[in-house]
Amino acid sequence: MSLQILLNGIALGSVYALIATGFSLIFNILKFSNFSHGALMAFSAFAGYFIATQNGLGLVPTILVAVLVGGLVALFGEFVAFRRITIKNAPSTYFFVSSITLGMLYEGIVTIKAGANFYNYPRFFKHATIKLGELIISTSDAIMFIISACTLLLLAFIIQKTRFGRALRSVSFDRDTAGLMGINVIRTIQITFVVSGMLAGLAGVFLGINYTLYPTMGSLVVKGFVASVIGGLGSLPGAIIGAVLLGLLDSLSVYLVGSGYAPVVTLLVMLVFLLVRPQGIAGSNILEKA
Amino acid sequence: MELFLSVITQICITIISVAGIYVLTGLTGMFSLGQAAFMAIGAYASAIFVTKMHLPFVVACILAVIVTVFVGFIVGAPTVRLRKDYISLVTLGFGEAITALLNQLTPLTGGASGFSGIPQITTFPIALLSALIVIILVAFFKTSKYGRQCIAVKSDELAAKAMGINVNAVKMTAFLFSVAVTSYSGCLYAFYTTYVDPTLFGWKKSAEWVIMVFSGGVNSLTGSIVGATVLSGLPEVLRFLQGYRQIVYAVLVLLIINFKPNGLFGHWELTIKNITALFSVKKRKGVKDRWHF
Repeated sequence: MSLQILLNGIALGSVYALIATGFSLIFNILKFSNFSHGALMAFSAFAGYFIATQNGLGLVPTILVAVLVGGLVALFGEFVAFRRITIKNAPSTYFFVSSITLGMLYEGIVTIKAGANFYNYPRFFKHATIKLGELIISTSDAIMFIISACTLLLLAFIIQKTRFGRALRSVSFDRDTAGLMGINVIRTIQITFVVSGMLAGLAGVFLGINYTLYPTMGSLVVKGFVASVIGGLGSLPGAIIGAVLLGLLDSLSVYLVGSGYAPVVTLLVMLVFLLVRPQGIAGSNILEKA
Repeated sequence: MELFLSVITQICITIISVAGIYVLTGLTGMFSLGQAAFMAIGAYASAIFVTKMHLPFVVACILAVIVTVFVGFIVGAPTVRLRKDYISLVTLGFGEAITALLNQLTPLTGGASGFSGIPQITTFPIALLSALIVIILVAFFKTSKYGRQCIAVKSDELAAKAMGINVNAVKMTAFLFSVAVTSYSGCLYAFYTTYVDPTLFGWKKSAEWVIMVFSGGVNSLTGSIVGATVLSGLPEVLRFLQGYRQIVYAVLVLLIINFKPNGLFGHWELTIKNITALFSVKKRKGVKDRWHF
C-alpha cells in the first residue's frame, strides 16, 4: 500500500513539476509571479480538446495542439500585457496585476466557448492499468510521468547547454547588463514565454486527463505555486523537488485525511516550511535588491 | 428602487473591503489573494455567533473580527518577513484551505450547500455609515506616522530599513489592519444577503479587489473608492454583454495598466485644498504619469 501511495505521488508530482517550472521560468526572468499561468493551462487544454480530441485524434495530437496553442497564446500575452511595462522597467506589482487580468481574459474566452460545463478527455489507452507484481499502475500515470520527465530533462539541457539557455540565464541575472552585452533581451523574454506556455499546455492536458476539463481548472495552478515556494522561489531544480514532495504529500494526505482536507494540509506544510526554512529546499533566496 | 438600494448597499460593502486592500496594496505594496477568505471567516464566524450562540449582532461582529485577526496573524507571521511575492502565494494557498475547510465542516458551516437562515440586520444606512467610518479611518491611517512608514516600505524596503523603520512590524500592522476591515465587511455581507456559501470567496474575488484599487489609482484612496464604485457597478450596467462581460472588463483594465499606469486618479486625493486648487486659475504643476509605485 505504501509503495502504491509513493508511485501515485510521484506521478502527480511530475505534473506539478511541469506547472512549477513553467511558473518559475517567468519568475526568474521578469521577477514576478505569473498568475495567468493557470488560465493558460486551461486555455490550451481546451484548445487540445476542441481541435484534436473532438475530431477523433488521439493523445499525441492533442498534446501537440495544446503545446502549440500554449506557446502561441503565451507569446500573444507577453505582447499585450507585459511588453510595454517591461520596456518601461515598471515595478513588479504592475506585472502582477497585468498577469491576473490576462488570466481573467483567457478564462473569459474559454468560458464563452465551453460554458460552465465539464468536459472529459476520452480514454486514450486500451488498458487502464499496468500490473507489476502486486502494484497497479494506471497507464495514464505512467505515460504522464515518462513524458514529464523527458520534458524536464530536455528543458534542463536547453537551459544549461545551449545559446538560448545562456541568454536566458544572463537575462534572469541582470537584464540591463545582458542587454549591453549584445543579448536581444526582448527576444529572450519572448522565447521564455513560449517555453513556459508550452509547459502550461502539456500540464493542462495532463490535468485534464487526471481530473476533468472545466473553465476554472486553472486554479489547480496553486499546486505549482506551492511547489515553487517549498522548493525556493525562482529555482528550477528546487521547483521540481518541491513538486515531487508536494505530489507525495498530496497522495499521502488524501489517503490519511481525505481529499477534502488536502488543501489544509498543504497550507500548513507550506507555513511550517516558511517558518523553518524560508529560502526553500534549494536555498536560493531571492531578496529585494537594493 | 429596491434593486437600486440593494446594488448601492452591496457597493458600500465592496468599498469597505477595497479600503482594506488599499491599505495593504496601495500603501504597503503587498498583494493578498486570500483576502476574500478573511471576508469568509468574518461572515461565517459572525453568522455562527449569532445563530448558534445567540449573541447580539454587535458583539458577534467584534468577536468575528478578533478571530479573523488572530488567523491573519498566524498566516502573516511567517510570511511578512519574506519578499513581497510570498504573501500573495501564501494567501492564495490560504484561500484554498479556507474554502476546503468551509466545505468540510458541514455541521458548523453547512458545507457546500451554504449557510442559510442568517437574520437580515444590515440595512442601507448601516452599510453606508460603516463605509464612511472605514474610509475616514483609512484616510487617517494614511496620513498618520504608520501610513507614511507603509509608503516608505512600499517604495524601497531596504532604504526604509536603513532609516530605522521596523519593516516587518509595519508590514504586519498593515496586513492585520486590512484583515480586520475585510472581516468586518464579511460580517455586513452575511447579515445583508442572509446566505453565504464557500464559492463566493474564491481568489477571483480578491483579485477583483486588487484590480479595482489599481484601475482607480493605486496611490490614491479617492481613486480606489471610485474604482470600487465604478467597477462593482459596471457588471450591472454591462449585463447585456453576458459572457463577454469578463473579457470587456479584462481588456479595459489591461488598457488602464498599460497606458494610465497611475490609475485614473494618480496621486489626487479628495481634500478641500485640492478641490479649491482644481477651480483656481493658477496653473497646476502636472504630475507626469509614470510607473510610480
